[in-house]
Amino acid sequence: MRQLGFVVRHVNSTTWWHEHLSEENVQFLKKITAEEYKAQTASKLCPLKDEPWPLNDWKPDSIRVGVVAVKLGMMPIWTKSGKKHAVTLLKVQDCHVLRYISKEESGGKTSKLLVGGKNASPFFKSESAMKIFKEAGVPRKQKVATFNVTDDAIIKPGTPLYAAHFRPGQFVDVTAKTIGKGFQGVMKRWGFKGQPASHGQTKTHRRPGAISTNKAAKVYRGKKMPGKMGNIYRTSFGLKVWRINTKHDIIYVNGSVPGHTNCLVKVRDSKLPTYKDCNKNPPFPTFFADGDEKLPEDLYDKEIFQFTDPSVTYA
Amino acid sequence: MAAACGRLLPRSAAAGLAGLTLTAARPALPGRCFSSSSCRISSDGKPAKFQPPPKPVIIDRQKQREERRFLSPEFIPPRGRTDPLKFYIERKDMIQRRKVFNIPEFYVGSVLAVTTADPYANEKANRFVGICIQRGGKGLGATFVLRNVIEGQGVEICYELYSPRVQAIEVLKLEKRLDDNLMYLRDALPEYSTFDVNMKPVSHLDHEEIPVNKLQVRMKPKPWSKRWERPKYNIKGIKFELPEKKMKEAQKWSQPWLEFDMLREYDTSKIEEKIWKEVNEELKK
Repeated sequence: MRQLGFVVRHVNSTTWWHEHLSEENVQFLKKITAEEYKAQTASKLCPLKDEPWPLNDWKPDSIRVGVVAVKLGMMPIWTKSGKKHAVTLLKVQDCHVLRYISKEESGGKTSKLLVGGKNASPFFKSESAMKIFKEAGVPRKQKVATFNVTDDAIIKPGTPLYAAHFRPGQFVDVTAKTIGKGFQGVMKRWGFKGQPASHGQTKTHRRPGAISTNKAAKVYRGKKMPGKMGNIYRTSFGLKVWRINTKHDIIYVNGSVPGHTNCLVKVRDSKLPTYKDCNKNPPFPTFFADGDEKLPEDLYDKEIFQFTDPSVTYA
Repeated sequence: MAAACGRLLPRSAAAGLAGLTLTAARPALPGRCFSSSSCRISSDGKPAKFQPPPKPVIIDRQKQREERRFLSPEFIPPRGRTDPLKFYIERKDMIQRRKVFNIPEFYVGSVLAVTTADPYANEKANRFVGICIQRGGKGLGATFVLRNVIEGQGVEICYELYSPRVQAIEVLKLEKRLDDNLMYLRDALPEYSTFDVNMKPVSHLDHEEIPVNKLQVRMKPKPWSKRWERPKYNIKGIKFELPEKKMKEAQKWSQPWLEFDMLREYDTSKIEEKIWKEVNEELKK
């Protein structure tokens, strides 16, 4: 039965948020929300008025929350032995915990915590979508990520998360949507070799060639063929954290990270068994900025060359 | 102090004073020093009216030096959609390195001597002298390429400005050339790329303009590594000895519309001003 979508005409009855508002009201609303956001982000305490949740100690089995960050760009750094490494800068911008979903509610093996990233405009979403943010007392976020967390690491919704949640020397996994390349052929998408450019090839230089055998008499599912490439979630595992800037909330992570500049990424402690020993005794369940701990502006890994030192010499 | 100088020394000697030039405001009293107020007697015998010595016109060289601003090209951020915060963070690191280690002002075409730490050399340090043919990269990864011909072999080394392994950068000869990129020296006669490894630094006074060396370099016979006669390289520093026909044929690849393309315009003057102020303030601290 063919689709009759072109016959039925849709009547679009939605309005945009300021269609029926006067100019003054629009300006006023914008100003009000900006001020409200500033106040909410500036407060280091959790905005919800009930008692704080209990703080537990870190155990080797506990899995703690990650963070949503913005990928700023890349930069070289040098170690004390003079070797150069490339690092990605990830800025933790307005990161708040949004909701706690218990094990029974989610139906999984562990409880979940929803965490939101960068602030965004509240006017272009429906009321039901804004419900989570209103309950947590937090501005609307651009990206909401889910973290599987053990029960001793749960955090009250509304607490802000900072870059100091991670420490230099530990290892992280970073997940993000890769850069979308659109519809791509088989050579770029799967790395096929193609065909020679000359020597009699008729109109065949970048084609896949044979797609199955004679005996199979079918094409197997999952055959590598041209299609949309990129714009999918991918994770880089085991990236070392070299440096943390507490003033601007920036994490310097080794190597490259999927995604374009200014995209939102999900950062969490590495699950790889090789780095189980390196992630010992992290700030658990998270780093609270209103606490007594006063960290210096920059935290460096012990291998890294700091620019306050004189040049490297090999004595 | 300046007035006392004007009284004690004759005008010709005053011109040799470093930093200050004195020119008498009034037309010549021949070489004679002005007498002190106590023995002022005019030709009439009556006490003459006090004539103050001519005010010396001081040309302050320091101000001239400050007016000539040089902002290293790696501070200027490239055009793109990156957050300016990332460039600010990188600039802080660059300034921090510059406070500890002096990176002098130099241009493409100046002769530099760079000492780097090398674990495999005797004395653990390696000194290389060469002419800077290219300055590339932005931010902390800024590089410059030095070229020299050593024992008949052309050598080019690419150094990172902010690498902790460089121990010292000295400018032996500070000058500019007609082009921003001297890669064509690879196809020029080797005499234009040879520089003495034990060259003495040529002194350059602070207040003078940087000299532009209008040298036109002679090339080896073709084929070259790149077709330097083509207008896309826009090279002024080669003395092309090619026939007229070849030069005219090279103009076929000219793209005269490029200079009017508004999307390629990147006006850095305002950005440079802001960054210059910021960098200067930080370096003075």
